[in-house]
Amino acid sequence: MRAIYLIARREFLSYVATWGFWLSLASMPLFMGLGIGIPILIESSQPTRYYVLVDETGGSLEQAIFEGAEASRIAEQERAVQAITELVGDSPQIEAAIASQTLENDGGRYVRISPDEIGLATLRPYLTGDALVDTPEGEQPLFAAVYLRGNAVDGIEIEYWSTNLTDAGLRTQFRRSLRDYMQQSRLRDAGISAELIETVNALSPTVRELNPLRTEEAAEVTVAERLPLIVGAGFAFGLWMVIFSVVNMLLTAMIEEKGNKILDMMLASCRHHEILIGKLLGVAMVSATLLLTWGSLAIGSGITIQQFASATDMPIADILAAVLDPGLILPAVGYFIIGYMMYGAIFLAIGSLCETLQDAQSLMSPILLVMMAPLFIIMTAFDSPDSPVVAIASWIPVWTPFIMLARLPLDPPLFDLVGTTAVMLTTALIVTWTAGRLFRMGALNHANQDTIKGWFSFGKKKPVSEA
Amino acid sequence: MSETILALEGVSKSYSGKPAVQNLGFTVERGTITGFLGPNGAGKTTSLRMSLGILAPDAGKVRLFGKNPGAAAMDRVGFLPEERGIYKKMKTEDVIVFYARLKGMHKDKALDRAVGMLKDFDLGHTVGMKVKELSKGMAQKVQIISTLIHEPEFIILDEPFSGLDPVNQKSLEAMVKSQADEGRTVLFSTHVMEHAERLCNKIILVTHGNKIFDGSVAEALGEVPRRVIIEAPADQNVGDMLGALGYVVEDDQAEDGNRCWHVDMKTSVDAQDVLKACVDGGVTLARFEPVKAHLHDAFVHMVEASPHKGQETV
Repeated sequence: MRAIYLIARREFLSYVATWGFWLSLASMPLFMGLGIGIPILIESSQPTRYYVLVDETGGSLEQAIFEGAEASRIAEQERAVQAITELVGDSPQIEAAIASQTLENDGGRYVRISPDEIGLATLRPYLTGDALVDTPEGEQPLFAAVYLRGNAVDGIEIEYWSTNLTDAGLRTQFRRSLRDYMQQSRLRDAGISAELIETVNALSPTVRELNPLRTEEAAEVTVAERLPLIVGAGFAFGLWMVIFSVVNMLLTAMIEEKGNKILDMMLASCRHHEILIGKLLGVAMVSATLLLTWGSLAIGSGITIQQFASATDMPIADILAAVLDPGLILPAVGYFIIGYMMYGAIFLAIGSLCETLQDAQSLMSPILLVMMAPLFIIMTAFDSPDSPVVAIASWIPVWTPFIMLARLPLDPPLFDLVGTTAVMLTTALIVTWTAGRLFRMGALNHANQDTIKGWFSFGKKKPVSEA
Repeated sequence: MSETILALEGVSKSYSGKPAVQNLGFTVERGTITGFLGPNGAGKTTSLRMSLGILAPDAGKVRLFGKNPGAAAMDRVGFLPEERGIYKKMKTEDVIVFYARLKGMHKDKALDRAVGMLKDFDLGHTVGMKVKELSKGMAQKVQIISTLIHEPEFIILDEPFSGLDPVNQKSLEAMVKSQADEGRTVLFSTHVMEHAERLCNKIILVTHGNKIFDGSVAEALGEVPRRVIIEAPADQNVGDMLGALGYVVEDDQAEDGNRCWHVDMKTSVDAQDVLKACVDGGVTLARFEPVKAHLHDAFVHMVEASPHKGQETV
């Protein structure tokens, strides 16, 4: 035990002292920050576009466009609410949060100006950048000049002049608004009242999702019930990412030690299984540190958002309850330990057989393929966790930790739970025992990567031995 | 009767069917310096690993401190392997403390002793430095300190002199002697006989996984025929004249028109008898040189005479 503790401690401290560890620690909040911040930054850094709108019909089309813009904003909000509802179910709090967010982000990007001269010949130098428009932000080129002609009955023509070919926001907004205007005009001309059209547009069914396992009063499916499915899939992804990154750390460290002849010195002081377990534990502590830090940051951020940010009504309490549900957390911890033990032991054994990373690559390729597969199956499980493919895949012991985590919130059959766990534990023991033997052979230089390749070269012609 | 620290009895080990060690047996007594000698690939490293329980023998028995080699015995042993390296990113004293703690030493005591030993080995200035900043010789000294830090009763050194310059080899020899003077038992392997000749109370010679000699240096030297080198004018046939005293062979190294002869004397003959025979025979001696045998000669002689010569081992 003393050797295991000391080796684990040394491994942990050696990783913690590296830049890579601190980068890994910062990577998750950094990426989350970038994921949220970059779109906001891009959006906020977009220059204000100044345009000229000329309604040659007297103003009716112009009016239609501005009414359409308002309607688009409302529709966008409804789409966002719909998307989140499909994900987590009906939630008045989320709808309120999105509404407030949509209002804040609205408008300001395209600003109409009304010069005295509106002819194209006059505006052309401003459009090409040869002349600039006075704006509150200083002199700017003119983004677009738009001329509206025709009518709703015979057809409307939008003449859109701009040197910017990529920013289609303004053009799309005008086209949509006037398309709706034309459609509604045609309906009104057919004798349908404006109120009726508005009423028809606002029609939408009310969905009550009910669970037949419960009585009528308690049958309503809530957000809190849906969250575990998302959290389960999230846990499975997270587990995969952590195991994948941690075993790579193990592999590179092992190869470095093998190359530097450190293993022989270690074997002079402790047994090979103590080295193996000590290293596994040391790196497990590193990953536990990462997970605890990220988890604490996520929970802290959630609470902060709930208290201070505009989205005050997000169901943070429900999300936290789902994340911290012992029914999910405890199996997640168990699956992490077993999954990490299996893959960690394999990667350590490979590392002990190889002097360089290049040596290890040919052995790692098939294992990486096996490791990648559950990633795609988890994606399937996210949409249809009851799929037979997902159920069958969860019986493959090296995938069980990831896929069963995604299945757990759906209460899989007891047979599946017990069976997959038994197969996984048995496999983990066999894999760890075999990896331990390989590790010992590799550490004592009694085997190398060619030994493993030799196991899989049945039937191949052996090279002629040198005389 | 002195205590036996290590005993191997009929130990054999094969790798993929190829024998590395065959029916090997020897003992190491407390307080002695024992040399474990043999050419590369003779099975020395495998034997030492079996002695410590790092490898299990296929046949035979290993007794370390009178018991099967186990984890408890490891704390009483300091083993310097042939393939050795240390954590390059750690500080010198931290590396030593790490290995000391693996052997059961308390952290504070280990640190005090590490700093003291670094000073003793002229490495006091490396305290606080990372191993990667040290020269190869300095790093090897740190490895040796790591092996000795816990004051082991039994020190096993596998090819300790390889990679060291002559100055450091001399320092290491002095260290081995001082450890033995302090009552510790030392077993070291080498294929360089000069170190063994200067240091060892006892030597064990192995070749192709088999023991071919086990005894003192003097006994080993006794295995080598004593030799006299003679140079005489080309017209005097010394070979025929001295044939009765031993095995005579002509060498082609003579100069100035002389002929050179090597006389490996019979057990009952000494250099005086050869000189007398030359004088009696009227030989005009240009050179008469009794040769002092070295362990290297004994080793080569015994390997050449070994029935195991030519056997294939790992």
